[in-house]
Amino acid sequence: MSKCQDIRGRMTLFLDDELAGSERAGFERHLSQCESCRSRLESERRFLETIRHARPLHSASEELRARVESLLSTAESDPVDSTRLSPLQGPAPGRTHASTFTFGPRSLLGIAAILVLILLLGIWTITHERKRLLVGGPSEFALMAANTHLRHIRGQLPLEVTSVAPDEISAWFHDKLAFSVKLPNYQESSGQKKLYDLEGARLVGFKSDYAAYVAYQMQQRPISLVITSNQVAQPSGGEEISAKGLTFHYDSINGFKVITWSDRGLTYALISDFDERGQQSCVVCHHGSKDQDFIEPLRPRS
Amino acid sequence: MSEPGLCHAVFGQAAVEHLDSLYGYAMTLTHSQSDAEDLVQETYLRAVRAFGQLAPNSNLKAWLFVIMRNAWLNQLRHERSGPRFVNFEKEEDELGQLPDERVEDPYAIYLRKLEREEIAAAIDSLPTLYREIVVLRDVEGFSYHEIATLLACPAGTVMSRLGRAREKLRRLLTGWQTTVAARAV
Repeated sequence: MSKCQDIRGRMTLFLDDELAGSERAGFERHLSQCESCRSRLESERRFLETIRHARPLHSASEELRARVESLLSTAESDPVDSTRLSPLQGPAPGRTHASTFTFGPRSLLGIAAILVLILLLGIWTITHERKRLLVGGPSEFALMAANTHLRHIRGQLPLEVTSVAPDEISAWFHDKLAFSVKLPNYQESSGQKKLYDLEGARLVGFKSDYAAYVAYQMQQRPISLVITSNQVAQPSGGEEISAKGLTFHYDSINGFKVITWSDRGLTYALISDFDERGQQSCVVCHHGSKDQDFIEPLRPRS
Repeated sequence: MSEPGLCHAVFGQAAVEHLDSLYGYAMTLTHSQSDAEDLVQETYLRAVRAFGQLAPNSNLKAWLFVIMRNAWLNQLRHERSGPRFVNFEKEEDELGQLPDERVEDPYAIYLRKLEREEIAAAIDSLPTLYREIVVLRDVEGFSYHEIATLLACPAGTVMSRLGRAREKLRRLLTGWQTTVAARAV
């Protein structure tokens, strides 16, 4: 290899400031004596300057900036346990320290236990309580849930775990969240006709924490369930419907029916494009003839 | 570090300064505005949580980029059975079919001042691995060593990949230059 070929092979190293010591000195010495290499170096330099003049290639939108600043300011006011996650390791974050948000053993029974209780209460209360009240625009949580649902059905939000088994999904969430998620397996265990299909789940960011996202399909129509702790989000806004000791908030956001509610330390959002208030989507937790009692209050009054 | 709130405030202020860079890198990786925005949020979320692990005098920008890349790889792992890789053999074959010497006229590329958008579009059209390394070096100004750490590969790989990426970019820009010149005739 001639000296000029050797020098030309190092030109980008020189321009990237990656040559040092005797290597750099030798390079500069040759350059001072070789017009051809100087010319080539100048060409390389101008090419790299051309590329570098193009920066920044992209700028974050004001909306994204606001979201990030909000996330960071939330962290300032409520610093989280910073050792909970190693960002230098690929797998999804896991909880390695005691959570700032804890539940008693009964709460850890999760949604399945809630369901049983709701059903028992429902038989008694269905005829006693049915209130509807309009209380303003959708909550931030409802908006996030609707947006998450939209991005998922557009294929922009891939699932991190895919499974048709509720237990597998519940196990996947274990140690990833500051709260416990146990998906109901009523459909699987009851032997009744299968009305919906569980697809999978993923984590989604909300405020300075993760929320659980679960995707279902029913009649080839997507249903999303988003869960966070009620310390992070409280349902509010929309049309308020009280039934069976719970308060549901119903919103229609970009054509999606969003039902949000809190129960036992968790806040839920159920999103679909079903008719009326989307109460049909409740089937992902409430499957069976008795469950119609639960769904009924959400049906619009004629 | 005795006042976590205060530290978080300082960290937040410093971290947000890299938002445009992180968003640009996210666009490089995902090629989608909504995915990039998700990835940026995910990165900051992870950074906030792992802030305590950041050693004093660390390179915050490089640290945030590492977080973003790992978050992205994590997403890909879940999306597919394994990480997505660009078919390097094919790209190298393509380069091999081109003449050994660089463009006929090394200055042709500068006949017309290229618009920023055109250069950005050319970078954007590169295969992911090439696009990534050009962005890391030529847009974000990371050193070879920092890039090697970020990509978890030897510095020699950084050099060779960067060389191939720039060569491909040069050809792309030259091709566009030729097209524009032909239209002008």
